[in-house]
Amino acid sequence: MGRKKKSVYKKYHYAIIVFLVVFSVLMMYPMIWMFLTSFKSNAEIRTYRTKFLPIEWTVEGYQSAFERAPIASWFVNSMFVTICVTAAVILTSTLIGFVFAKYEFRGKKILFVLLLATMMVPPQVTMIPRYLMIQKMHLFNTRWALVVPGLVSAFSIYLARQFIADIPDSLCEAAKIDGAGPFRIYWHVILPNIRPAIGSIGIFTAMMHWNDYLNPLLMLNDMEKMTLPLGLVIFDNQRSMDLSATMAAATLIMLPMIVIFLIFQKQFIKGMTMSGIK
Amino acid sequence: MCSLPFLENGMKNNRFVAIVLIPGFLFLLVFVVFPVVYGLGISLYDYNPANSQNPFTGIENYKRLLHDEVFWIAVKNTIFFCAAAVTANIVITLFLAEIISILPSKWMKTLFRTILFIPCIAPMVGTSTVWKYGIFGTDGGAMNRIAGLFGAAPKNWFLTTWQFMILIIVFTLWADIGYNVVLFTAGIEGVPKEFEEAGAIDGAGPVRRFLYIKLPLMGRTFAFVAIMTMANYFQMFAQFRVFAASGGRNNSAMVLTNYVYKMSFDSFDMGYASAVAAALFVLVFAVAMVQNKLMRMDWSYE
Repeated sequence: MGRKKKSVYKKYHYAIIVFLVVFSVLMMYPMIWMFLTSFKSNAEIRTYRTKFLPIEWTVEGYQSAFERAPIASWFVNSMFVTICVTAAVILTSTLIGFVFAKYEFRGKKILFVLLLATMMVPPQVTMIPRYLMIQKMHLFNTRWALVVPGLVSAFSIYLARQFIADIPDSLCEAAKIDGAGPFRIYWHVILPNIRPAIGSIGIFTAMMHWNDYLNPLLMLNDMEKMTLPLGLVIFDNQRSMDLSATMAAATLIMLPMIVIFLIFQKQFIKGMTMSGIK
Repeated sequence: MCSLPFLENGMKNNRFVAIVLIPGFLFLLVFVVFPVVYGLGISLYDYNPANSQNPFTGIENYKRLLHDEVFWIAVKNTIFFCAAAVTANIVITLFLAEIISILPSKWMKTLFRTILFIPCIAPMVGTSTVWKYGIFGTDGGAMNRIAGLFGAAPKNWFLTTWQFMILIIVFTLWADIGYNVVLFTAGIEGVPKEFEEAGAIDGAGPVRRFLYIKLPLMGRTFAFVAIMTMANYFQMFAQFRVFAASGGRNNSAMVLTNYVYKMSFDSFDMGYASAVAAALFVLVFAVAMVQNKLMRMDWSYE
């Protein structure tokens, strides 16, 4: 198959490769600029504006970022929220997806349509009520303000249902005849058969919450309690003259995710693809 | 979406169904459905959480919407941003996905897809902060340096009007195309090669083969991408907050999401902000309905 395909397009290959290389360099430029700027001193940034590489590599920016901002706590907060929400979403979406895929009950269609409809509500539409509710629940300015509203995700339920529907009914029936209750079927038949879907939902959810800006912006007040993306903006607003430190902070925030992505890029891309195809 | 035949058969165990669904739907009720209703309620009051008196004003906030110039600018900008950015996104990502899919070797495909995907991994607030200085920055930003090569004086892009909106669209595309490239590449690779070869034998060039053979055969992926991207772009917020928190010059970069935020959390005029949020909801809903009709998106495809 691959050989045949080559013959159809051979004459375009060089042009395409050159184009993609140039395009990729342009795509990477902002990240590379951020990385290099984080190793320049502020004096150098101001004096030599046209230099791309640092003349003198320095970690001043990083020192200044760590001294002036609680980056370590932001990191811990981001980790905490992302891990809690991702674990919870995997559990809730596979369970609810299982029920929609394999069980029959009254009102199923209406509930499913309702579920799909909740996906269409933009978060900005509900942000004022959610802010007031979180205050009434006394969760304002705590990590739980970010965890609790994220425990169930309609999109993940939909995704899980699509995958679970592909598991043959006969497998569930066989388990049932063997005397397995619903939780055992869920644990021993469903979960082992949808590992790729779990990966996909996990990656999707983790990225969404690690990168989220709107909810932390609404729900958190104290510097110490912030997550990384919110912290960066606050940091930038407070010391806009300290570009070296801002870029150091930005690098620290983005690098872990990018490294994880590069290591697991195959799984990431597969997970993303599945979320779209299903 | 009205007939869902795929939901019709299955096992029966009402106790289990209830144990799983009641907490799940209670949750969605509390955090999605109730806030929508609560928001509509607030929009009928002159509501500020710091005030002790929040009088009921009926449809006063909605009347105010009709005469609010900034609101209409935000509506216009939101529609323009979504229409332009989604169209550009789909055209660019289809093009990139197609040329990546015809690359001769697997490692090249992986390499380019990975590079294009990197910006999607990073938080948009982070990357917008980088662009704010590194690309758009008045001194030392890449745009002014390139302009400088042609002898142009450095320009403060944040003070421009429509140009600034275009720049925000360019940023959004940079930050977001990787995702759709991945989806479209998968869609294109799902089209059986035989169709294409048949087209080639009949003398169709690569452009025609793409437009008339591959594109129609990946209709489902296309519909999914179009609907998701549109829904996603209506919610774009972070970059507007970083680049133009107050809306930019003459509100030329003011969009509805930022206007709701600004009205509720900068001015604490939450009653009015809730009316703006309701308008945003209506707009998103209307667009989704139109799209659903146009693409006949069949969620129940099996």
